[in-house]
Amino acid sequence: MKRRNEFFVGLSVIVAFLVVIGGAIWLSEAELGKRDVVHVARFREIGGLNVGAPVTLRGVKVGRVNAIRLAQNDWVEADLKVKLDVDLPATPVAIAASASLFGEWHVTVLDITDAPVDAVLRTALAEASKPGSGAWPGATLPDFGQLTQQANRIATDLGTMTGRVSSALDSSAIQDVRRSLRDLREAADRLADFAKKQTDPFNRVTTNLAATSDEVGSASKRVNTLLGRVDDATKDGQVNDIMNSTKATTADLRAASADARELLAVIRSHQQTLARILETTDTLLTKVQSGKGSLGLLARDSTLYLETTKTVQQMRQLLTDIQANPRKYFRFSVF
Amino acid sequence: MTDHLNRIGVAQLGFIRRTGRWAKDAAHAVSLVRTWGPLLALQMRRLGVDSIPIALFLAVFTGIVLALLASYIFTGAVPLYFVGALVAKTVMMELGPVLTGMALAGRVGANIAAELGTMKVTEQVDALETLAVDVHAYLVVPRVFAATLMFPVVTAMAVAVGVVSGWITATSLLDLSTPEFFKGVRQFYHFKDVWFGLLKSASFGAAISLMGALTGLRTQGGAEGVGRSTTRAVVLGCEAILVLDAFWALVLL
Repeated sequence: MKRRNEFFVGLSVIVAFLVVIGGAIWLSEAELGKRDVVHVARFREIGGLNVGAPVTLRGVKVGRVNAIRLAQNDWVEADLKVKLDVDLPATPVAIAASASLFGEWHVTVLDITDAPVDAVLRTALAEASKPGSGAWPGATLPDFGQLTQQANRIATDLGTMTGRVSSALDSSAIQDVRRSLRDLREAADRLADFAKKQTDPFNRVTTNLAATSDEVGSASKRVNTLLGRVDDATKDGQVNDIMNSTKATTADLRAASADARELLAVIRSHQQTLARILETTDTLLTKVQSGKGSLGLLARDSTLYLETTKTVQQMRQLLTDIQANPRKYFRFSVF
Repeated sequence: MTDHLNRIGVAQLGFIRRTGRWAKDAAHAVSLVRTWGPLLALQMRRLGVDSIPIALFLAVFTGIVLALLASYIFTGAVPLYFVGALVAKTVMMELGPVLTGMALAGRVGANIAAELGTMKVTEQVDALETLAVDVHAYLVVPRVFAATLMFPVVTAMAVAVGVVSGWITATSLLDLSTPEFFKGVRQFYHFKDVWFGLLKSASFGAAISLMGALTGLRTQGGAEGVGRSTTRAVVLGCEAILVLDAFWALVLL
């Protein structure tokens, strides 16, 4: 019984020991029998890097952060335990950066020529390079929290700027701008219409000019022809005949001119007679208009007109009465 | 007033005297290896090995629940491989030791208190004293040592089974692959997680067995007294587990 108890107890202890030790080795990814080499990397600050964080080379895990300690002159040194059989870059640098959004950090080993083209990072690496120390220069990339904070600040600045622009461009300014644009659009439309309307006349002018040019060309041709004929006429004596005919025509014109002169004298005398008649008429009309004379009085004084009218009416009544009652006015008796 | 102060002083002095006597007796009992040594294996089997099934049963369902709970919490916001991290961390550092300790507080603490209480009320303890046998060395020390040594063993197995059950749950019921699960486990694993849990469980074993033994040896009043002692041992054991859990978290984390 005692042996059996001891067996079961021993078995349980051994199993538990194997579980704990085996599990610890497996979970820590420790490779027994493989040798590691420890490299020191110098950082100005290590951000969220912790002991145990993975060390990667071109994305492949090649080791772990073995220790982190403060060093002289405000430096931080991290011991990077890297597998011995890993071919490291010729001039290695260590970049500590967050591996995810959840606070995990890792160290990436790069050749200095492959380091990101970032002025701050390059400056940090150059500052961490210490010739003769054997330590790898290290730099830290901002974590997601810092990037988020930066983005938040930028967003806030943009919001502020947008607000300022909005307050600068208030409703009246926008209306002014709209009105200006509308006016500009109308002006552009008018210009377009004007150009469209002027296109046809301009085309016509251009066509006319072209036609005129053609006419001038043909006229000059005809002049040339005429000059040629004149030249030919002077040769055959036709010019003398023309001159003789011209003299005869001039004599006829002189005779016609004398007849016309006599006609003009008669017309002039009739004109004077007409002027006198008109003058007399004008004097008469002036007297009538000013109420002088019988005709003037008749035209200007309404009393005479009224009396005359009244007399005419009485005369009509008298005639009417005579026609109706002739015996009243005329009496015939034989005896 | 003076009498009251005198009574307090006397009580304090009595407590210190009893503590000193208890420490002297404990040291004397521990020194009697020939007395408790032969009993250790038996107690280790009874308190430890025989408790493994219940501890593993608890661990299986703890792992299952943790995996499902973690996937429910992380869905949509956190990568699912964090299920592995949460299951492993929680089982190793907290739920493995504490739930195992709680289960064993009921089983082991009650067992010790009932056994020693019965021996007390049936005057077997008095008989041992009459035979010049150190009661503490014979009855208490092997049980306390056995529990202290075997609780980490049981807890280690429970942790392993809990993580494995969480892994099986994650791969079979959730959309999570084995590499992803163990990526999460390894991502946040530190060896401290393991020894922290095992140290806690050792302290739980010591406290539970000590509470059970001391409560049992103070049993009075027959079967009813045995029942009271058993209940008291379990309650004190659970309280001791919670207090020690907070203490170790405060000191070691």
